[in-house]
Amino acid sequence: MSVILKAEKLRVEFTTRQFRKTTTKVALNGLDLEVNAGEIFGFLGPNGAGKTTTINVLLGFIQPTGGAAYLFGINVRQPIARQRIGYLPEMTYYYKFLTAEEILRFYAKIFKIPNAEAERRIDDVLKLVELEHARKRLIKTYSKGMQQRVGLAQALINNPDLLILDEPTSGLDPVGRMKVRAIIQRLKNEGKTVFFASHELGEVETVCDRVAIINNGELKALGPVSEIVSQHGANLEKAFLDIIEFQPETVA
Amino acid sequence: MNSSRTFSLLLIALLIFCFGLAAHLQPQFQAWENVREQSDDFFQLLLGDSSRVFANSAFVEADVYYHSGYYPTIFDSTKAFETPHIAEDTGAVASHNEGDETGFMGPPRDWIDAFGRHFIPNRHTHLDEGGPTDDLSTSGEVREILPWLKLSAELDPEDVRTYIVTAFWLRSRLHQPREAEQVLRGGLRYNPGNPQLLYELGRVYFENYQNPAQARNIWNAALRSWAKEMAGQPDSVKNDFDNRFLVEQIKTHLATLEEQQGNLDVAILIWQQVKAVSPEPASIQKHIEELQKKEATQLQVTPELP
Amino acid sequence: MKIICALAGVVIKELYRRKDFYVLFIITILICAVMGSINVFNDKQVIRYIKDIALLLIWISSLVISITATARQIPAEKENRTLLPLLAKPLTRTQLIFGKFLGCWVVCGLMLACFYIFFGVLAATREHQWPLLNYFVAAFLHWMALGVVIALTLLGSLVFAAPSSNSTICFVLVTAILTIGRYLDQLALSFHEPARSIVYSLYFAIPHLEWAFGLRNLIIHDWPVDAWAFYGLDILYSLAYIGIFLLAACLIFRRKAVN
Repeated sequence: MSVILKAEKLRVEFTTRQFRKTTTKVALNGLDLEVNAGEIFGFLGPNGAGKTTTINVLLGFIQPTGGAAYLFGINVRQPIARQRIGYLPEMTYYYKFLTAEEILRFYAKIFKIPNAEAERRIDDVLKLVELEHARKRLIKTYSKGMQQRVGLAQALINNPDLLILDEPTSGLDPVGRMKVRAIIQRLKNEGKTVFFASHELGEVETVCDRVAIINNGELKALGPVSEIVSQHGANLEKAFLDIIEFQPETVA
Repeated sequence: MNSSRTFSLLLIALLIFCFGLAAHLQPQFQAWENVREQSDDFFQLLLGDSSRVFANSAFVEADVYYHSGYYPTIFDSTKAFETPHIAEDTGAVASHNEGDETGFMGPPRDWIDAFGRHFIPNRHTHLDEGGPTDDLSTSGEVREILPWLKLSAELDPEDVRTYIVTAFWLRSRLHQPREAEQVLRGGLRYNPGNPQLLYELGRVYFENYQNPAQARNIWNAALRSWAKEMAGQPDSVKNDFDNRFLVEQIKTHLATLEEQQGNLDVAILIWQQVKAVSPEPASIQKHIEELQKKEATQLQVTPELP
Repeated sequence: MKIICALAGVVIKELYRRKDFYVLFIITILICAVMGSINVFNDKQVIRYIKDIALLLIWISSLVISITATARQIPAEKENRTLLPLLAKPLTRTQLIFGKFLGCWVVCGLMLACFYIFFGVLAATREHQWPLLNYFVAAFLHWMALGVVIALTLLGSLVFAAPSSNSTICFVLVTAILTIGRYLDQLALSFHEPARSIVYSLYFAIPHLEWAFGLRNLIIHDWPVDAWAFYGLDILYSLAYIGIFLLAACLIFRRKAVN
């Protein structure tokens, strides 16, 4: 199986300076990760574990202090590495003065998709995310759920081989979540690779082939869901808490 | 329903209270401010005494337009522009200009200055002498200075210079004597009996309306007004160049008027008064002698009636 | 280039869907209409003061629109979190900077075209002549000067934290250049060292936008507009400064964390 996404000894430090005092926070500490083609990969961790930092490095938003990351064998520092990926951020905000159609057309131009092909894909993705009826309305008139679906549409506009999703079901109602899960499964059936960070352990348990659990910038567990569950607990939630060494506060 | 009615009633009560309070306080507020508050002039109300500064700026802007934008800034030598040329060229205002008016910028200081001069007016011209195109048929473009003169007059109605300059250009270059008269009469409203304004008004009647009788009356009124202003003033004030110059001009024009009307004896009398204040008494005396000879000739020609 | 044009297209859509330009355009028309209705001693041919005021308003409006619109480009992307989905696409940060610049510059060009057409029509109503070439030269050099201002503001948006502070500083800087840029060398003489050297260096370092601004007087007072070689050099000069500011912006943006 070919490796689509690879992180090698990834290290990210954030240095802050306040009143002549320099503080260094290690966000990622030697993270090693590989995602194979065609799998759905879950990336779990408590708040502040380093999930978003990892995604930021993969997408070239920040430069790693040490190590390297690769997408399709290309170093993430090169823009061409992002040609075949789709990204759905946790907070979906798009240009409020544009319509859904215009945003998708704009992103299609960035991917250098020919106009005729772009129009066809716009129709397809809008149909997929059920936004055909609102395609000519300005984004500022959309509800949260509709904006989330626009986000998914723009992540799919270039028919990506790798989809990076950051909390894809955040803010969605149960019906919306079901639809997103169905889309992810469909992508898997098409041979796409999905890498997503989520707090919804039930969802991860349902759709993911493999998961990685990180805490304090370090990889704590990696492997198929069933393997992790069998090693640590009755379900993924218990295994997760066990892995991150969560100690519940005792109430007096 | 009750809450919205209560709210409406409260709002009405508040409006009535505010109106009543404003009406009660208005006389007190007027008493605090004096002239400015009671002024019906927009600029006076808005700017107060600082309108005079803006008035001078507007007057200078008229001179900038007269030069089609080629004008010194505070960083250039302004010696040749101390008296705006729109005023100097009227002959009614004493000039304090000296130095080179054509080359106040001096040679280019560096390549930036040299380069920048190709983007701005860089030649000394006057609008009534053809302007940038040197085309005398466009000398009517001197009208472009008028809006700034109008603004200057409105900002400082007590500046007599503005009315004189405006009237000069209106009547002599733009051939609009009626407008010139209106300007001068407007100036007289704010400066009643001002001798300079009366003198200029007389010129309108004499040179443009061809009405010597009215011109005579106005010039005599100007002289009376001048005498009234100078009454009680020390000799140094009376003999001040500007004051002497004004009297000389009024009397010169009166004398010329009387000459044209054939009243040579009156003309000679006035020329003698001019001679007393003129810096060129010799040439005035020569002219008086010519008039005396002419008068004598006239008396000889006219036979005595029985 | 396609990516840069796509980015510019989004900027153009944003700016023409905002109301800023229309408001300023209407205000300019209203002020000029009021100025034109003033009775100046019953002379209906007086026009230069209207041209002066119109061109001044055009300059002020163009600076307001260009600076405020550019100052909020990158910060708005960060604040609205639209920057991350954008940078997740296969485009470089340099392309983003150039796309933003091109979009703002093109919009300013269109806006200037509207303003100058209005100006030309206004002048023609009284002058009964239409020196198209002169107006075109003035508008084009104005547009080039705005390009420098836009590039400077874009650089400022990466240096200063808030769009408001960037806008204020750019306004002050540009106004200072337009009013006293030509005289900084003389001003320097009134200082003692080291201020004198600093001001003198500034005189040579700043982009001399007052050249294009000074062209106003040639248009207002009907001077011949025919120093073609110098206008061409001014265009090259403006392009050089645009390049310098954009290069600096790209260098800063490449090192900036955007998360």
